[in-house]
Amino acid sequence: MKVKAESKKSLKKRIIRYIPLYVMALPGLIYLFINNYMPLPGLVLAFKKYNAKKGIFGSNNVGFKNFKYLFATKDAFIITRNTILYNLVFIIVNTVLAVFVAILLAEMTSKLKKVYQIIILLPFMISMVIVSYLVFGFLSNDNGYLNNTVMAALGKDPVQWYMEKKYWPFILTFVNAWKVIGYNCIIYLSTILGIDRGIYESASIDGAGKWMQIRKITIPLLRPTVIMMTLLAIGRIFYSDFGLFYQVPQNQGALFAVTNTIDTYVYRGLLELGDMSMSSAAGLYQSLVGFIFILTANLIVRKFEPESALF
Amino acid sequence: MKKLLATMLCAVMVVASFAGCGKAADNNTQAPANTEAGTSVEASADVSGDALTPAQQAIADRKAKAAETGKYEKVVVSFFDWTGAPAGIERVNSKLSAYTEETLGVDVELLIIDVAAYTEDLKLMLSSGEQVDLFSTCGPGYMTCVNNGYTADLEENGLLATYGAKLNDVVRADYFDACRVGGVLYGVPPIKDYAIQTAAVCIGTEYLEGAGVDLAKFSKDDLGYYKCTWDDVDEMFAAMHAAFPDKTVYSTQDNMLTQGSCVDNIGGDYYGTLLDPANSLEVSNVYESDMFKEWCDRFYRWNQAGYISGDALTDTNGASARIKSGAFMAMMACGKPAYENQISGECGRPMTVFDVGEPFMSSSAVSSFPWCLNQNSEDPIAAMQVLEALYTDPVVANLACWGEEGVEYVVNDDTTINWAPGVDSNNSEYYPNVLWLMPNQYAAHVWEGDPVDVGEQTAKFNDNCPVKSKALGFTWDNSDYAAEFTALQNAYKEFSGKVIYGFVDPETGLKELNDALYAAGLKEYMAAKQEALNAWAGK
Repeated sequence: MKVKAESKKSLKKRIIRYIPLYVMALPGLIYLFINNYMPLPGLVLAFKKYNAKKGIFGSNNVGFKNFKYLFATKDAFIITRNTILYNLVFIIVNTVLAVFVAILLAEMTSKLKKVYQIIILLPFMISMVIVSYLVFGFLSNDNGYLNNTVMAALGKDPVQWYMEKKYWPFILTFVNAWKVIGYNCIIYLSTILGIDRGIYESASIDGAGKWMQIRKITIPLLRPTVIMMTLLAIGRIFYSDFGLFYQVPQNQGALFAVTNTIDTYVYRGLLELGDMSMSSAAGLYQSLVGFIFILTANLIVRKFEPESALF
Repeated sequence: MKKLLATMLCAVMVVASFAGCGKAADNNTQAPANTEAGTSVEASADVSGDALTPAQQAIADRKAKAAETGKYEKVVVSFFDWTGAPAGIERVNSKLSAYTEETLGVDVELLIIDVAAYTEDLKLMLSSGEQVDLFSTCGPGYMTCVNNGYTADLEENGLLATYGAKLNDVVRADYFDACRVGGVLYGVPPIKDYAIQTAAVCIGTEYLEGAGVDLAKFSKDDLGYYKCTWDDVDEMFAAMHAAFPDKTVYSTQDNMLTQGSCVDNIGGDYYGTLLDPANSLEVSNVYESDMFKEWCDRFYRWNQAGYISGDALTDTNGASARIKSGAFMAMMACGKPAYENQISGECGRPMTVFDVGEPFMSSSAVSSFPWCLNQNSEDPIAAMQVLEALYTDPVVANLACWGEEGVEYVVNDDTTINWAPGVDSNNSEYYPNVLWLMPNQYAAHVWEGDPVDVGEQTAKFNDNCPVKSKALGFTWDNSDYAAEFTALQNAYKEFSGKVIYGFVDPETGLKELNDALYAAGLKEYMAAKQEALNAWAGK
């Protein structure tokens, strides 16, 4: 009895003690609620034929008809394949490069360290529309840097970049890595800087070189962060960066086979059709599959390394 | 921790539900106003026999109400322009309202949105209940608006006949009929050129002179443009290419079918078309036709000859904007009365128009973007009366089309207008430059340089069009074929660019395109269209 009362008291105490933190979290929670929970009832739209006169809930039910267009054609396979494969490649490439850059920056003692960091981060701040024109500056047929300068210097024929599918998986991976590494590496860098310096010192006393320290200390201690970031990325594996796949290839039809993802497909289709119900259906499908992916990935992680799992 | 979270969530939910209540309460207060308007109209209908017509009575009622509350009710009219809300929009709106308060007993607000945002913004306004009473469907598309239930039946309870009767004087009955969907009239077409003179090749006059082209050998057509053949065009292009080697000859856009042919894109797309729309209702695949092959051959020839930019596929600038930049010399559009002035303005230099095609009126020519009334409008009667004024009242039409007299424009002796002193298209505070989507541009002044009777000329041009589609007025709801449509659209975009701009041999390019279209379900789509067309023709 006494124990219970005491714990109750301490709970009360705890709450009072942490009130400032709760207050600080409140705006975020409210935002989350308004933005992510309040629209949930609107999901019924995915199963209806929307009619403004009847309203969202009054519109006629049509079952799964709105989902049909996502799966009915041969494009369904291509867009799903593109979305998942690109995301897998991005997860791997970006993680490896971001960790690499983070370690480089952490080991760096130069005064220019901050400058490098800013330069690496800069692409992340640029809008995809502008990135698409930077890329166009390199790849344009008539005036592009590659065709006019690089290919000419190498003595090769100019390439019609926007008509050749085979180059684009590499171009898109490169552009994506260039753009996001600076941002991703900040998280890894801060983890590395949080590692107790004493461990490195004792390692170096024991005769471990830089390379050994990185391999045996930095990377193992980075692992939970890497796993967390990867889990988050897997949850969004069914979403694609719309700007990257739509703007950067200049919405070029000839490249659809390698640039069409679920997002661009839905956008192109619905821009013409203007159908709200089908957009909702596509959104619901993406979130459901993303939900399943993240649960599965988390389950696997929990099995092998419980302390790194998200939940 | 968990408990606290739960309480907090609860609190937020309670707040949210209060917010919801607030909204509902708003709606409730609006509802009586609505019914009030309804009853007063009915009452007015009863007394109409004595002195006032129902329309006049409605105006008198609104004025009486405004005298009581000190505030006129407002009708919001939305359409797009190229640059967003003009700087002088508030001034024009207040001028407009000052006039309509007198004549109609309402304030009118023109809500002008830039073209890039218009479709999305309008859809949001229409589905969220924000006030917009009248809107142009140019942007979201007429069928999309009808299918989503945004539009009101204009003839419900005799709305149009009672409160918009004068519309019948300016819009012909068969043009109204062309806008009916399933027999119901949801929109009033803007008064414009419905017929087109296909394949008007526009070439910068300075380039023609520089290349030494002799224009005297061409005769002129009814609209006053030089009549010529594609061989003549080839000849001129060759001469221009030789005279201006550092300029690109032809500014491309994907308009060979829309502006360059008499193929009818029934139902609003080219997947299944009428190749001989004046005589036959047989739906066929235009991309397998000889006519389309001819276009592709022509462009292949031009591309080989270096008339087309290597970046044609990626360049998203408008054809006329590229000519304005000075790097391109010629383009193709479709002609109509007073087109030379319009295209010269768009291209920023004098242009010479060559007529290579023939006149044509497609099935969707009239119904492509009518003006509609929001089904959610609080006072459809007031909205209908404003719509009538936009079509028939010169004061309203002038303010909407050109802005304020003496500020934006001045009137010449012959009733044409020109810029007010010190004003031009760049610094004008009101210059939407979208005459063709306005309800009735011909109710307003004519710009200097255009014939004063351009309205009559256009009406005659429409009436005299020899090739009118038999399917005029056919509309089709393709939402049951959304999957096929999306797939077709993708297939077309993937395989069309190379072949229509002549980057690949048409033999292989067209085969690729057609194979992809058939794989995407062109057969089923065309069959559905044919079925709908037959059903429509049967009625």
